[in-house]
Amino acid sequence: MARTFTTLLFVACMLASSALAQTEIVYWTHEDVNRTELETRLIAEFELDNPGITVRRVTHPSANLAQLLLTAFAAGRGPDVFNDTIANQYPYIVNERVAPVDPAAVGAASLDEVYARYLDGTLDPVTFGGNLYGLPLEVTNWVIFINKNVFEDVGLDAEVDYPKTWEEMMEISEQLVIRDGEILQRRGFDFRYPWYLEWLVPMVEQLGGELVSADGEAIVNDEAWLRVLSYMREWGPHGRNLGSPTYRNARALFNFDNNDIAMTHTGQYQIARIQADNPEFYDSGQLLIVPFPRWEDAVNDQGAAYYGHYFMVNAQSNAETQRAAWQLIGYFAEHAEEYFATSALVQPTHELLASPAYRDHPFSEVFAADMATARSVYYGDNSPRIQQLLKDAVEAVMLQNREPADVLPTLREGVSRALRGDF
Amino acid sequence: MTRRRLKLNTSVQGRQAIWGWVFVIPALAFFSLFAFYPIGNAVYMGFHRKSVLSLRPPQFVGLQNYLDLFNSPAFWNAWKATTIFTLGTFIPLVVFSLLLAVLIVSRKRFQRFFQVTLYSPAVVPGVVAALVWMLMLDPRGLANQWVNFVLGTPGIDHRWLASASMVRLSTMVVYFWGYLGFFTIIYIAGLGGIPATLKEAARIDGANALQEFRYVTLPLLTPTTLLVSVMSMIFCMRTFSTQYMFTQAGAPTEPINVVTLFIFNTAIRDHQLGMASAMSILLLLVMFFFATLQFLASRRAAG
Amino acid sequence: MRITATPVAAPVQRTPAAVRRRSLLALVIDALLWVFLVGAVALVLVPVAFMFVASFMPPAEIFRSPFPWWPSRLYLENFLHALRGNDGRYLFVRTILNSTFVALSISFATVMLATLTGYSLAKLPFKGRTIVFLLILSTLMIPFETIMIPLYIVVTNIGLQDTYPGLIVPFLVSAFGVFLMRQTLLAFPDELLDAARIDGASEFGIFWRIVLPNAVPAMAVLGVLTFQSQWDNLIWPLLVVQSDSLKTIPLYIAAFTEEKHTNEGAMVAVAAIASLPMLILFVSLSRYFLRGANLFSATKG
Repeated sequence: MARTFTTLLFVACMLASSALAQTEIVYWTHEDVNRTELETRLIAEFELDNPGITVRRVTHPSANLAQLLLTAFAAGRGPDVFNDTIANQYPYIVNERVAPVDPAAVGAASLDEVYARYLDGTLDPVTFGGNLYGLPLEVTNWVIFINKNVFEDVGLDAEVDYPKTWEEMMEISEQLVIRDGEILQRRGFDFRYPWYLEWLVPMVEQLGGELVSADGEAIVNDEAWLRVLSYMREWGPHGRNLGSPTYRNARALFNFDNNDIAMTHTGQYQIARIQADNPEFYDSGQLLIVPFPRWEDAVNDQGAAYYGHYFMVNAQSNAETQRAAWQLIGYFAEHAEEYFATSALVQPTHELLASPAYRDHPFSEVFAADMATARSVYYGDNSPRIQQLLKDAVEAVMLQNREPADVLPTLREGVSRALRGDF
Repeated sequence: MTRRRLKLNTSVQGRQAIWGWVFVIPALAFFSLFAFYPIGNAVYMGFHRKSVLSLRPPQFVGLQNYLDLFNSPAFWNAWKATTIFTLGTFIPLVVFSLLLAVLIVSRKRFQRFFQVTLYSPAVVPGVVAALVWMLMLDPRGLANQWVNFVLGTPGIDHRWLASASMVRLSTMVVYFWGYLGFFTIIYIAGLGGIPATLKEAARIDGANALQEFRYVTLPLLTPTTLLVSVMSMIFCMRTFSTQYMFTQAGAPTEPINVVTLFIFNTAIRDHQLGMASAMSILLLLVMFFFATLQFLASRRAAG
Repeated sequence: MRITATPVAAPVQRTPAAVRRRSLLALVIDALLWVFLVGAVALVLVPVAFMFVASFMPPAEIFRSPFPWWPSRLYLENFLHALRGNDGRYLFVRTILNSTFVALSISFATVMLATLTGYSLAKLPFKGRTIVFLLILSTLMIPFETIMIPLYIVVTNIGLQDTYPGLIVPFLVSAFGVFLMRQTLLAFPDELLDAARIDGASEFGIFWRIVLPNAVPAMAVLGVLTFQSQWDNLIWPLLVVQSDSLKTIPLYIAAFTEEKHTNEGAMVAVAAIASLPMLILFVSLSRYFLRGANLFSATKG
């Protein structure tokens, strides 16, 4: 018992002493080796320029970040600065948990000047009630990454034969797959499963369907939804057995070039990670990046949804800390080119997008062209819950072999409830 | 001497009464703050709507949360998942732990060795168990290899983590593996309580081993069986980490969305604290019922 | 008694040959039972064996068909990766220390407080004792999972979120522990206590010098059980801990296996390192673990 009280006392002292020190900014972000190296340096420079401010940068596995942020904010102990994907961040804006941008602290004369720096539309997701609540760490969309070695292995020329449509995607994957009985030893393409808002919804939108209509109706255009759900069923173990959520994450395998996956879809940042994880493969020139496929009879010519990770500032931090936090974010934003050079992260400023570094970067035009056609990822107060409802629907057809027509009403009911804020 | 003893008693009793209170106050304070108060708070929150992120005070909604729950298919699915898991796990647990206990006790050697080895999975952390099993249940893993070898069906993927019934079975296997030794030990203790003279009497009457088990051991073990059944049921209803790890790894949520996981996700993923509190209260009531059963069962086991 | 009422074959005189045949049959059955028992134990050990063997394998071999059961070469990189983590911060080492500290603190506090409370409830008559006992007993029927969210709200309200006390304090006393110690101490001889009182010892002195030393075996059992359950605790740290520096082993493993850079070799090495301390503790203190399993049931009445 004495020991516990000593611990209590010890922790209390620690907390007290840290409060007495100068302004400390606690910054939470997800693990990314390239960016950690860059930001560690930027933070050191920033601290040198601003002697009154110290920054504590804490990294978390990306899969855990959302839950950690939530439990911390719920307890009123959220970090001063954080980033996450916008679908998870939007509820923080709606619930007034994050502070508006301080234009002066990010080195702008006015809010309009801040908007003028960024590509049109990229700040829309963080604009709410006339205020701006975040600046982008990155905005990207997902396109198809191809390992040419695997194509060559089955006598295909990736440059020519790459899949342009979802129909072709299935056929080509079938050619690339190696199975031991039913067990997949090598997959052609496989999806990034839990992130349905980023790629499944755009597949529906290509066919003219919608997740939420402009007047707030859930799951518009049954035909489009049923097509996509049927496609997923066909893709899974009960159909042509080309992949499944229970196999190891395709994106994680792709970098290692172990002849177990030919294609995955991911964002521009992945290029820098391949460079870091497997320079040999990167330098071999066997990496090919092509646009997100369209349906043969697509109504909308549309790429995968673009989404941002935004730097946000905790509204409960004191005014001084908030100011310092925006200064830090402003400092990060000034180095957009370095973010791109080291980590292939795109902070969509006009300056970066016009720079030779960006334009000459391999495959930049593939991302840019697809992004020009793309819509933003769905974000709302309930987007994490809707993501889960999509997950349940896809799992029902893919893994439990349920009829898409039986699954769709459940999905619609769930999304409607989520939109209404009902249970 | 008698006088002194009496005098001592009166003053000592007063002192003891005071110290008795002093000694239980830390525990009482603790339970008030970390058991009774949270329950009271949950009852209160159960009548309110509140988002985890919202800074606004909870909004009173009366019985709405409970009504919503009873109307929600997901809620009933969670109870279904918990029930299937509990029934599918505790019955094999009771049967096999009894069988193993009887076998071990019938051995003249290595009794202790068997007990220690069988119990060892219970000390492996639940997260580790889930992780190791996930690797074995991978389509390319040991489970498919072995089952296909035994059934002579090369190349079949049994979809341990994919299809609804198999993923349910997989969570049961993990749990069964973890607790088999634990309940075997309890049975061994129960067996030790059966007087050897009764068995001898049966033997003298000409009963064979099977008859002896059927007519002597089993009836006398009834209290232990009752206890093991209720205890394993309660353990099963509390399951969380296996299901959490499996769903994080890509297994479908619906078939194994047990009540504990459902509560966790309602609070943390869906942000609905009031709803999660209402569900906690309902789970509490059910568990309280079973715990009372356990209490009565252990009374019988002891007496 | 049931036995007398049940029909059992009457003793029959057997020929020596029949007896021999019978004993041969018994021998065969006995051998089969041995095979069954050894087989069951071997099956139970498969996952543990898999874990340790696989942790020494190059990751590519873990899913090789058929599973090799012996590493082609000793591949220690798995353990280095496990300890180093994906970002080279050796967080796992810190995590192991955290788990040890938290589990030890809780075990120590639980054992001391449960013994103190149990002693009072068993041996010190005071008004309202029965009610106190029933109150504590009733919390025994509240599994942690049912109050995790309410408790989480309370702990955040008193500001213990993301601190060591937040991890430790909600488990300082266990109703099971109080109950176990009360039942154990009920059998403690009153004469010893009275003799000490006559010698003028204070009540706390009696507890400290007479009761405590004599309760050590039961305390050891309670300590071991508490340590085990805390080493295993995932759900609570999942709710209260956000800082890396406070993470416990189950939390770390849950996060590590989700991370995309982690390969199977490192995962299984993390698992092996996490279970090794418990397995060592178990093998060396198996007496207390096994007795604990029994007490868990037997003393609840």
